[in-house]
Amino acid sequence: MTAGTRAQRREDRSRRWAAFRDGLHEFYVGPYRQTLLREQRDEDDLFMIVVLGEALGVPDPAAYYSAGLLPAVWADFHSWHKRIGIPASPLDHIACC
Amino acid sequence: MLLALACSRRLLFVGGKGGVGKTSISAALAVARARAGGRVLLVSTDPAHNLGHVWDRSLSDEPARVLTSGEGFVDAVEIDPTSTIDRHFATVAATMTRLLPDRLHASALQHLDQARTAPGSHEAAVLERIAELIESSRDTHDLVIFDTAPSGHTLRLLALPEQLTGWTETLLASRDRSDRFAAAARSVVGSKDAEPTADAELRRTLISRRDRFAQMRGSITDPDATSFIVVSIAERLPVAESIDVVRQLAGLGIDPAAIVVNRRSPADAGALLAQRREQEEQHLATLRSAVGDIPISQIPLLPGDLAGSEALSVLADHLVATSTA
Repeated sequence: MTAGTRAQRREDRSRRWAAFRDGLHEFYVGPYRQTLLREQRDEDDLFMIVVLGEALGVPDPAAYYSAGLLPAVWADFHSWHKRIGIPASPLDHIACC
Repeated sequence: MLLALACSRRLLFVGGKGGVGKTSISAALAVARARAGGRVLLVSTDPAHNLGHVWDRSLSDEPARVLTSGEGFVDAVEIDPTSTIDRHFATVAATMTRLLPDRLHASALQHLDQARTAPGSHEAAVLERIAELIESSRDTHDLVIFDTAPSGHTLRLLALPEQLTGWTETLLASRDRSDRFAAAARSVVGSKDAEPTADAELRRTLISRRDRFAQMRGSITDPDATSFIVVSIAERLPVAESIDVVRQLAGLGIDPAAIVVNRRSPADAGALLAQRREQEEQHLATLRSAVGDIPISQIPLLPGDLAGSEALSVLADHLVATSTA
């Protein structure tokens, strides 16, 4: 038994421990993260509807100001309409699909 | 009374039913204040501008000097919502093209074009320009007089700052919640993605908007800074509308400080006019009993067309001399 292999084994064990610990961590906190991210997504979906309101046929009294918020939602538009169950872009002029 | 009001306020809104002489009264009040050494900015918010007709010259969206009187002067502006809308959307388009990838530019700009023509954009632009003029005239003028559109239009416009403050607050709260969820999710697994720049920029936009609306709301509902002058004539419909305006102003928290009854018929110029004057007294009594202790100033029916600074000067004399009843 050389010192080298002992050190190697120790390192091996600590790596496995670390993996196990991370796994446990994920097992316990994962669901919370999912919940938090889902909440965030719901909030962002709401924001999307507010900003795109006028274009989606909901009269928006503040359309003049909402227009300035478009860049915030533009990038997520495609994944949003897919997620809410509209397969093709609901807005004619936004050809994201 | 009216001159004292003009000397002690920073903003005056002049409103009332269409065709009662709001523009002449606003302009004459501006003249009276300028003669007393005030630097006055006179702004027409009515899309159907006639401030230019009253001054007998063409006016634009940029202030133009229409009268100088010793230390005092009057600068006049006719708000052009279209140019404000163009400026606003040019700014938004610039932001969008900076923040979005090239392939999205065309559709983003197309979408903006739709928003440009959305109902309400016109009104929002007028309000935006009013806010701009209030801010930019803070150091250069002592008084800003707004000659406004007929009542309904104006009251809606004055209700906007409050509504829009609420609207921006709601959106900011939504962004806050979204960020907090994202941050909480990140803290659960250690840091993942940094905050995107687009969002930070929009938040800045929202916050400055909110502050602007809130500030405007604060200044128009401060009775020491802002008053509303209701112009009417002594006839049934204008009187009914004036009473209505006074009530609605109370609801908006805006101070109706004075009522001007314009074009009173003379008692000594023939039977017809004397008879009309009798009739007017009744309507005036109705008005008096409905508006409590708001002072009512009366301006006699004047001959000739009210145009040019000479005629406005005569009307200004009447405004200054008028006794309240």
